[in-house]
Amino acid sequence: MSVIGRKVVVRKIAAACLAFAVIAVSAAGCSPSGKGEAVSSAQPASSEAASQGASSQADSAAPGEYDFKSEKPVTFSLMFSDNPGYPLKNDWKLWDAIKDATNVTLDVMVVPMASYNDKRSVLIASGDAPEIIPKTYPGQEVPFIPSGQILAVSDLADKMPNYSSEVKAWNLQSDVNTLLQKNGKYYVLPELHESFNVDYSLCVRTDILKKNSIAMPESWDDVYSVLKKLKELYPDVTPFSDRWQLGALLQIAGPGFCKTNTGLKTAGADWNSGSTFYYDKDQDQFVFYPTMEEYKTELSYFSKLVKEGLLDKESATQSDDQAKSKFENGKSFMITTNSQEMNDLRTKMDAILGEGKYEVAKTNIPAGPAGANLVGTRLENGIMLTKKAQEDPNFETLLKFVDWLWYSKEGETLAKWGIEGETYTVKDGKYTLNEGYTCPAYGLNPDAKDAKDLRKDLGFGCGVFILTAGGPNELAYSMMNDEEKAFIENVNKTRTLLPSAPTILYDEDQREAQNLLVQPVMDYVNQMSYKFILGQTDIDTGWDAYVQQCKTKGSEKYTETANSVYQESKKAQ
Amino acid sequence: METELRARKKEPRGTVRPFARGKTARRLLKDWQLYSLLILPVAYFILFKYGPMLGNVIAFRKYVPGGPWFGTQWVGLKYFKMFIFDGNFWMKFRNTVVIGASSLVFGFPLPIVLALLLNEVRSKAFKKTVQTISYLPHFLSVVIVAGMTIDLLSPSSGFVNVIVKALTGHTVAFMQESGYFVPVYVITGIWQETGWGTILYLAALTNINPELYEAAEIDGASRWQQTLHVTLPGILPTITILLILNTGAILNVGFEKVLLLYNPAIYDTADVISTYLYRIGMEMNSFSYATAIGLFDSVIGFLLIALANFFSKKFSETSLW
Amino acid sequence: MKESASYRVFRVFNAILLLIVVAVTLFPLLNVVAKSFSDMKYIASNAVTFYPKGFNLKTYRLIMSDSMFWIDYKNTVVYTVVGTFINLFMTTIFAYALSVPRLMGRKFFTGLAVFTMFFNGGMIPNYLLVRNLGMRNTLWAVVVPGAISAFNLIVMRTFFEGLPRELEEAAAIDGMGTYGIVAHIVLPLSKPILATMTLFYAVGMWNTWFGPFLYLDRPEAFPVSLYLRNIIAGASQASGTDADALGEVASNVKAVTIVLTALPIICVYPFLQKYFVQGMTLGSVKG
Repeated sequence: MSVIGRKVVVRKIAAACLAFAVIAVSAAGCSPSGKGEAVSSAQPASSEAASQGASSQADSAAPGEYDFKSEKPVTFSLMFSDNPGYPLKNDWKLWDAIKDATNVTLDVMVVPMASYNDKRSVLIASGDAPEIIPKTYPGQEVPFIPSGQILAVSDLADKMPNYSSEVKAWNLQSDVNTLLQKNGKYYVLPELHESFNVDYSLCVRTDILKKNSIAMPESWDDVYSVLKKLKELYPDVTPFSDRWQLGALLQIAGPGFCKTNTGLKTAGADWNSGSTFYYDKDQDQFVFYPTMEEYKTELSYFSKLVKEGLLDKESATQSDDQAKSKFENGKSFMITTNSQEMNDLRTKMDAILGEGKYEVAKTNIPAGPAGANLVGTRLENGIMLTKKAQEDPNFETLLKFVDWLWYSKEGETLAKWGIEGETYTVKDGKYTLNEGYTCPAYGLNPDAKDAKDLRKDLGFGCGVFILTAGGPNELAYSMMNDEEKAFIENVNKTRTLLPSAPTILYDEDQREAQNLLVQPVMDYVNQMSYKFILGQTDIDTGWDAYVQQCKTKGSEKYTETANSVYQESKKAQ
Repeated sequence: METELRARKKEPRGTVRPFARGKTARRLLKDWQLYSLLILPVAYFILFKYGPMLGNVIAFRKYVPGGPWFGTQWVGLKYFKMFIFDGNFWMKFRNTVVIGASSLVFGFPLPIVLALLLNEVRSKAFKKTVQTISYLPHFLSVVIVAGMTIDLLSPSSGFVNVIVKALTGHTVAFMQESGYFVPVYVITGIWQETGWGTILYLAALTNINPELYEAAEIDGASRWQQTLHVTLPGILPTITILLILNTGAILNVGFEKVLLLYNPAIYDTADVISTYLYRIGMEMNSFSYATAIGLFDSVIGFLLIALANFFSKKFSETSLW
Repeated sequence: MKESASYRVFRVFNAILLLIVVAVTLFPLLNVVAKSFSDMKYIASNAVTFYPKGFNLKTYRLIMSDSMFWIDYKNTVVYTVVGTFINLFMTTIFAYALSVPRLMGRKFFTGLAVFTMFFNGGMIPNYLLVRNLGMRNTLWAVVVPGAISAFNLIVMRTFFEGLPRELEEAAAIDGMGTYGIVAHIVLPLSKPILATMTLFYAVGMWNTWFGPFLYLDRPEAFPVSLYLRNIIAGASQASGTDADALGEVASNVKAVTIVLTALPIICVYPFLQKYFVQGMTLGSVKG
């Protein structure tokens, strides 16, 4: 009987949900692997201060190699998502380093990471938002467009040479085009990856596989046989106990079965209406994937795993800690993972099972009946610029600054590694963190004693300004260990990145209506997917009723509208 | 009679100003100290509660983030129609009512019972200890409680399932079956809030005149009869008021706890209005729609409390207004 | 007091029942506290039950070595003290006024307060109000918007209504004004409810994080509840390809934050308990 709370419409951020709504799930696999795009060392004349709209520079430097320094000291405001792992400090070297390099001081508005989206909404809504708003995932800028509070950055791209040159050089124009709105403009500056970086995959106990001469799985069929064999050898263990409540698993499986992302949204996550379709290139139309036969195949597959005791039923509801604990204690042998988690996993298992007594590795993305596919984009969360920026007398300088910090190799390297010679050294494209500095989060000098933490103490490597594995390849790979690098290269080599689906250019009202329409349908899909997988409803006998229900709930209307809007906007273009 | 008694004894307040001729004004002046107490609180309510309430107007207007905060154009009942005709909305409404009502029915009496039991404890030390421990769960964040619950109910390692297995031979996946959600929600709520809820009742118990107990004893009443005829009536006003207030709050099913406990497999019983709003908010940022639903909720809550108040006026001396 | 046999039996059962309540309540809590002091290895293998295994203070040290933690803790204390004072003052005077039968417009004013329990403006209008009043980033933004809880107000009013009228009447006859009555008669008799409300408001203010998050921009001004909440949220994040996911938050951080935030405020109750005294003050009335 606590105090009756006020009825506040609270929108809390489920961070897990962001991870799943991530557009950058799969990679664009067609790009050159490795360091093929090594940037040439040509430096443009950097003596000029930030030029005012001098587009001639666009031809004079390699992508990402445009310098910038403001003539006079200026200050720009920025919204900063504060990560509790390395909370912002006013005396971070980062701020000085930026100032020294560019003459720009940042007026930082600190927002706890967990509540970043909420606060951002409120601030933009009330006109109080700072000029630069990073950490905006493509899609998140959409609700703010009608208000006129955020700028159409597509109009400003020509003033941002690093950004535009990289888009061109890395073939990202078609990806960027997915951000276009109905009026032909886009409103968020995405961060760019030169190479696609797959994130989620399966992690397996390779020592047990080796002991029993079981090969690493390359396809879902392989996964099935591997699990079956493991079950035979260890009848008391359910070999696969998943985390993230099966959400990541279906996301990994989607491309192989349905050629699209079929990630189950976990509790609290939202439905991005764009992720409900499979785009059929030949027919040039969108198909609602949850009612496709291929989706039935996918669900049947996992339902079979559950039925035969290969996939732990509890995966659907157990907490991440429980799932991880099972794996770490050797009570399961397969789990979904991502690159960041591997470090953590190994640390725990060293402590629990003992170093050397186990071995884990990530599998390749399993191929499915629909092919050895990957789905995703090379765009990452990005930056919005607000009206305030436009009203700033130093607007052009601001643009060049943003362009330099997030899109130039120099700027990105500074943000990621710090000051050359001081915090790091680079030789032949290999980056090393200097002695006296540590960054256990990235696995750099983890055992250094009395060392300054690159992130916590100095502010470099901060998530607001960099990507762990984005930007130019050289930088992307700079912090990875060899295993990670090999993994990414292998995936890019052996898997095909499917082209992104075109965007459906809704107008506001249409979008609102579609979102409202799709919500209950996908809730139902979500629920039934679980029921099918867990065997609560038999998939063979229950499928038709399920499809029918989807239609009753509006899936057909939703799909028709989407297709008609798409066709119309194609005509208009 | 009372009024006259007091009126006679109030000091005259200097010259009678012209506007003080009216009866009301005179009363105000004479009792100025009493009425002055109202100034600050009422100002607070008007400024900080009713002011922002004007923002609810966006339920009837189209609102755009960053645009004028009272919306850009009237759209009438568009948003209301949107959810009223949405069958899914009513399912969530039903879930909210079921969860809220169950929490009330099962959760309301327990703090009273516990308070009464504590009241019978003679040893002060024991009483204090039990009290303090019993309200500790209230301080746990809902994140912890949800996490603990999921762990406890886990088919593979949960304590509850250990017992269930021993008794029945198989385990139950509580969190995956729709039928269990409401009991789990209610029971965890009871665990967390019962101890805290006794505080108010214990405070109320101290207000009962000890002479009434003495008199009852003299009349030969047993402890149980004393409880029935002295204690309970003594705290009845508190019970009544709390019951009314909590009835009004039935629809306020805490979004965070449901969010942490539910999963898509059990949406049909677990999804409530607040979680639905949250998901819509995440996706659509449609403040107007959310506000419309919020308004609807508020109206229902208000009606509920009015109803509860009406009944309490009929059957007891205490009421809200 | 004479005790019947059946009553004595009841007392035994009562004691047992209460012990069960204690056990059911305590054991999960002990688990949390134990985890906060345990080594990661044991937590990950679910070996921790009711007492710490691999006792260490690593996570405590981690959190407590951050100067921001202490700054925010100080903030919490300040907000709680100032806020509770404001809460108590405003609520008490309003509740008393509402409890006086002869107050004109009594129903209206009560309704005014009750209505706000259901209808409120939402995040943005509230934010705009605070901003337009220039209260952003000030102490007032934290303590003023929640100054009166309608729920507490009504409960307090009920208590005041239950006080014997004779005392007030006698004082009025003697020429005492309302201020005097409140100060000399009502408040001394209301220690239990004042203690309760102090506790309620103090706990509320101690744990509040939403207002501070909305109205404050600088971490130096945050209350510790916001600081810790951010840590917990960071600990339960899934990761992506951006650098934010790499938090090094320890596996028992949730448990540690619970202990750190709840401990002080839990200690407040025993101090307030002495005000929950049975009828002693009432007895003095008779004379």
